[in-house]
Amino acid sequence: MRYAEPETVEEGVTLLASTEHSRCIAGGATLVAMMNAGHIAPAMLVSLHRMRELFTLTESAEGLWIGAMTPHRVVAAETRLRGSMGVVRSAAGQLAHPSIRNMGTIGGSVCLADPSTEMPVALVAASARVEIAGPNGRRIVPIEDALVDRFKTSLGRGEIVTRILIPRGVEGAVGHHLRFSRVAGDYPTVSISLTLSMQGDRCVHARVVVGSCGPVPLHVTAADQRLIHSVLGEDDVAAAGQLLASAASPLDDVRGSAEYRRMLIPRLLGRALSQARELAHV
Amino acid sequence: MSDKISLSLRVNGASHALSVAPERTLLEVLREELRHTGTKRGCDQGSCGACMVLVDGEPVFSCLSLAVTLRDREITTIEAVEAGNELHPIQRALVQHGAVQCGFCIPGIVITAKALLDRNPHPTVDEIRHALGSNTCRCSGYARIVEAIASLTGERP
Ligand SMILES: Cc1cc2nc3c(=O)[nH]c(=O)nc-3n(C[C@H](O)[C@H](O)[C@H](O)COP(=O)(O)OP(=O)(O)OC[C@H]3O[C@@H](n4cnc5c(N)ncnc54)[C@H](O)[C@@H]3O)c2cc1C
Ligand code: FES
Ligand code: FES
Repeated sequence: MRYAEPETVEEGVTLLASTEHSRCIAGGATLVAMMNAGHIAPAMLVSLHRMRELFTLTESAEGLWIGAMTPHRVVAAETRLRGSMGVVRSAAGQLAHPSIRNMGTIGGSVCLADPSTEMPVALVAASARVEIAGPNGRRIVPIEDALVDRFKTSLGRGEIVTRILIPRGVEGAVGHHLRFSRVAGDYPTVSISLTLSMQGDRCVHARVVVGSCGPVPLHVTAADQRLIHSVLGEDDVAAAGQLLASAASPLDDVRGSAEYRRMLIPRLLGRALSQARELAHV
Repeated sequence: MSDKISLSLRVNGASHALSVAPERTLLEVLREELRHTGTKRGCDQGSCGACMVLVDGEPVFSCLSLAVTLRDREITTIEAVEAGNELHPIQRALVQHGAVQCGFCIPGIVITAKALLDRNPHPTVDEIRHALGSNTCRCSGYARIVEAIASLTGERP
């Protein structure tokens, strides 16, 4: 195996593009585990550790750009992620446990595209956009276009995720993440990320995304629509939860059967919404 | 065959000049090159925490860290936790509370607890449990481990 630590994204792209079976390594949390287990043996590893640009956070009128190499721990402490942007901060602070939050990066979470992880779910709820550098320059795509299937992204050979934009979102909205796991710190059985805005006791904005219930984070526009203009009463939550549950395609695994996961969705939705309302003080 | 890479690693305050293949994990280098065998190898997957070390003061799984990525970082292993033949208060508390049986998990637990207490000297019991979520103990269970650490913070589990 060859190994390189280029200092610029462009050098990294050139190296990745020129070698077959090359991979970049971010925190290594999942990549090294797969190498240890003999699942992959890349011909070349391109480390992202020396690319300073990937560690920067920049605020703009649109929102906050987070460098791909930012560990979950840093995202969890980032106070500029407030309002509806707070959904990303909330997820980063809850996922796994402190040692994984130290190692795992936001870019690594996007590129791993593991349907049982939570950062992609929060990023879809935040309507995040992803900047991708490749042999033909840079492009910015909605997070949904980057996540295409289980463990599969739309990144082509030689491409690197450089940063992720968390847009400011709806004025006055709050963001919240709720995970349900059998054991605290384990991968969630189901997770829910949402952004919510209320006017009086009426919901004026809702965007709900469910994790661990399909190949990519599950977002059903009809479920959001069912909540908007409602008072988020029991019926409203049950109906929206039902729309999500019937669109879900969860797997059976040690953390829960598909049926159990479907049953959890409406329950967790109700809990997530009431926690979010508490945050919004309404 | 992998290219070997020359690098210097700072472990417990000392610099070590090494030549390692890029796929070698910090855990392998600590145990096999530096003979620091206090750090244990359990699962090699980030699931058991036996291999925990501190990197710049933060707990990190050495089995998931490639040694070559850790140049210029300050690595602390269990060997440096005891000071001048005196057990660290965390180690003493674990012994006093009967939280140790075979001890395989203990280096990782001490390291994880140390990182927590260094950052937050008065964690709640929930925070202790959550921080230790990365560490598995197969023989003594968790109640006494949490009790031992809580005894250092004035918290009651
Ligand atoms: C024990 C354990 C428990 C976990 N529990 C949870 C949990 O409860 N919830 C949760 O959400 N997650 C969990 N995770 C997953 C964790 O969030 C991921 O391991 C982490 O986010 C991956 O990030 P990384 O920086 O370590 O990526 P790496 O492991 O370095 O890389 C992962 C993949 O992405 C590619 N890649 C990385 N960065 C880039 C980039 N910038 N551009 C292009 N490709 C890139 C790599 O080539 C590789 O294929 C857990 C992981 C472990 C090991
Ligand atoms: S050996 Fe590293 S976590 Fe188990
Ligand atoms: S004391 Fe034996 S594994 Fe914990």
